[in-house]
Amino acid sequence: MSKTAETILHLLWTFAQLSVLGFGGGKGIIPQMHADAVTHYHWVTSDQFSQFYTLGKLVPGPTTIFAALIGYAATPARPYLGAAVATLGMFVPSSAMMVAFDTLWDRFAGSPWRTIVARGLAPAIVGLVWSSVWTIGRGTTALTFSPGSFRMLLSVAVVAAVTLLMLRAKVAAPLLVLLAGGVGVVALR
Amino acid sequence: MPADSPKPSLTSIALTFASISSTAFGGGQKASVRQQVLARGWMDRERFMDGLEIAEVLPGPNILNLAIYCGQRVRGIPGAVAAFLGASVPPFIIVLIAGALYFAYASNPFVQGALRGCALGALGLTLGNALELTWDERADWLRIALLIVTAVAVSLLRMPLLLVLVIFGGAGIVHEYLRSRGKVDE
Repeated sequence: MSKTAETILHLLWTFAQLSVLGFGGGKGIIPQMHADAVTHYHWVTSDQFSQFYTLGKLVPGPTTIFAALIGYAATPARPYLGAAVATLGMFVPSSAMMVAFDTLWDRFAGSPWRTIVARGLAPAIVGLVWSSVWTIGRGTTALTFSPGSFRMLLSVAVVAAVTLLMLRAKVAAPLLVLLAGGVGVVALR
Repeated sequence: MPADSPKPSLTSIALTFASISSTAFGGGQKASVRQQVLARGWMDRERFMDGLEIAEVLPGPNILNLAIYCGQRVRGIPGAVAAFLGASVPPFIIVLIAGALYFAYASNPFVQGALRGCALGALGLTLGNALELTWDERADWLRIALLIVTAVAVSLLRMPLLLVLVIFGGAGIVHEYLRSRGKVDE
């Protein structure tokens, strides 16, 4: 089997698993996706992973669409095929579950289990979001400037400012990412 | 939906979700779907809220799940497929364009500066999300403990996602079950 065909199968299998485990809107899968795409398969570097995640936040639609970029980078011989396969793997299994559950769900109407499962999973998902902060933060090159340097301090300040603006001023997410990018063009070259 | 209102065509389902998925971000997407679906009379408010609940509980992006639910409710499986395509194809094309630009210009120092800045922005958003979600759990110290243990197990011990969901997700569900039973007993 050619290298590309093998990678295609690995992409499909990897993202399909992430897809069915993507509870909480897929917020919790980032650490595992990093472990698979960076540590295990070496499809992308940790920096690239953080940058692709960033592009996922910048474009409309679900953030996890950045799976397409991992697929693109993983198969240099057939980049668009890799992108399409990673995206199908990421979105089709969870969508199929949605279709299958739609009819089942009505039978559970009024059942307390709906809330129990949703609320019960929440702490684990929130813990996974904290791990995403850790994962993405470690791949963010602006945070690797030498400690105490102006650029390092500025980078930390940008993260803090974006966090505050998001929580307090409710500024739209892509706008915040672009504002931070503007600071980067001026001061983080 | 009035009984005599005609069913929407598959094309109109796909285009409705394509217009939302190519323009709306984050939480705004759900609001757009709600507005469009109710305005077109595809279903009533109660049905929609029911769908939103399923979309949020099941795995997968909320917006994609919600689109599929709406498509399926109005036109069955073909409607679900049309909604899936509408909600996923435009973001796929847009992210590929962004990726092509990234690969073409990533070595330019100005682009590098912009990318570094944007990455800090994305990190800030994720941190804000984590803080917001943690704040929602503040009433129950057991849930706070569970989320801390999960974060440590994943970040430092590299626990696989499946195991995390089985062990810590399972513990959360058991805790929630006991809590709800306690309420009933009272």
